[in-house]
Amino acid sequence: MTTSTLAPVAAGTRAAERPVAVALAAFLGLGLLFMAGFSPAIALHNAAHDFRHTQNFPCH
Amino acid sequence: MIIRLLSAALAAGFLAAVVVTGLELTLTSPLIVAAERYETHETHQATRGLPIVLAHAGHDHAAPDTAPEWQPGEGLPRMAFTALATLVGAVGYALLLGAAILACGREPTRQVGLAFAIAGFASVALAPGLGLPPELPGSEAAPLATRQAWWVMTAAATGMALYLITVRRSLIAILGGLVLIIAPHVAGAPQAPEAASELPAALAAQFAARSLAISFVFWVLIGLGFGWAWQVFARGPARGTAHA
Repeated sequence: MTTSTLAPVAAGTRAAERPVAVALAAFLGLGLLFMAGFSPAIALHNAAHDFRHTQNFPCH
Repeated sequence: MIIRLLSAALAAGFLAAVVVTGLELTLTSPLIVAAERYETHETHQATRGLPIVLAHAGHDHAAPDTAPEWQPGEGLPRMAFTALATLVGAVGYALLLGAAILACGREPTRQVGLAFAIAGFASVALAPGLGLPPELPGSEAAPLATRQAWWVMTAAATGMALYLITVRRSLIAILGGLVLIIAPHVAGAPQAPEAASELPAALAAQFAARSLAISFVFWVLIGLGFGWAWQVFARGPARGTAHA
């Protein structure tokens, strides 16, 4: 399948990298959102209070 | 690709957070502060009575006169923490948006970013907002854990439904998507107990409208910003320095 010396390497890395990038971004994104929007820790709730209300995260 | 995705999400999140923090501080924070006057009289006890709060409050081993839970000081510290939370939330949403675009096999551009952002707005602001309208402190509401569960479930179901309808597009996928969109609302959001709140209705209505409008701007900026940043970071340092 390899027709050129450079392109397959780049294409191969990209193909393998995409699921990893998606999984990592999804994991990090959900973590950040949990912290900003859902964490029950009172300090985090109080810090993010106005943001939670404005962005319609259930609050209180 | 990993670095490019994280960088684009950071850039888009920062861009959206800067604008939306300004909107929050001018449009919604004053309403929240005004509503808290009613909250301290009415529902302060109820707020402290939630099990999820009690689990972390640690009243058992604390003296009754211990300091209240930490909260940012009024004025500037509170604004700063609102800005920080907005930044964290914006980067979080931008990461999810980027993950969704790449998972669907699309090339992130401003147009694609905008399309996915509108889907994101519909999933996490519009659909949960139908059952649980954006509310001010002091409003009556069902227990927090059930509302959070319904919120997450509705957002996930709506997002999946939009994927089925707009990306899959087969008849069965579209029908399944419609069911997924409607099901959380047929099941019904947790209902607030019937009780009169002292909160003026005009204040609550104004807040709900402003909240949805700000969410829309938030998502549009995240989507456009992500598409833009993704293309910018593709050019690499060589072209960037040539430009500069």
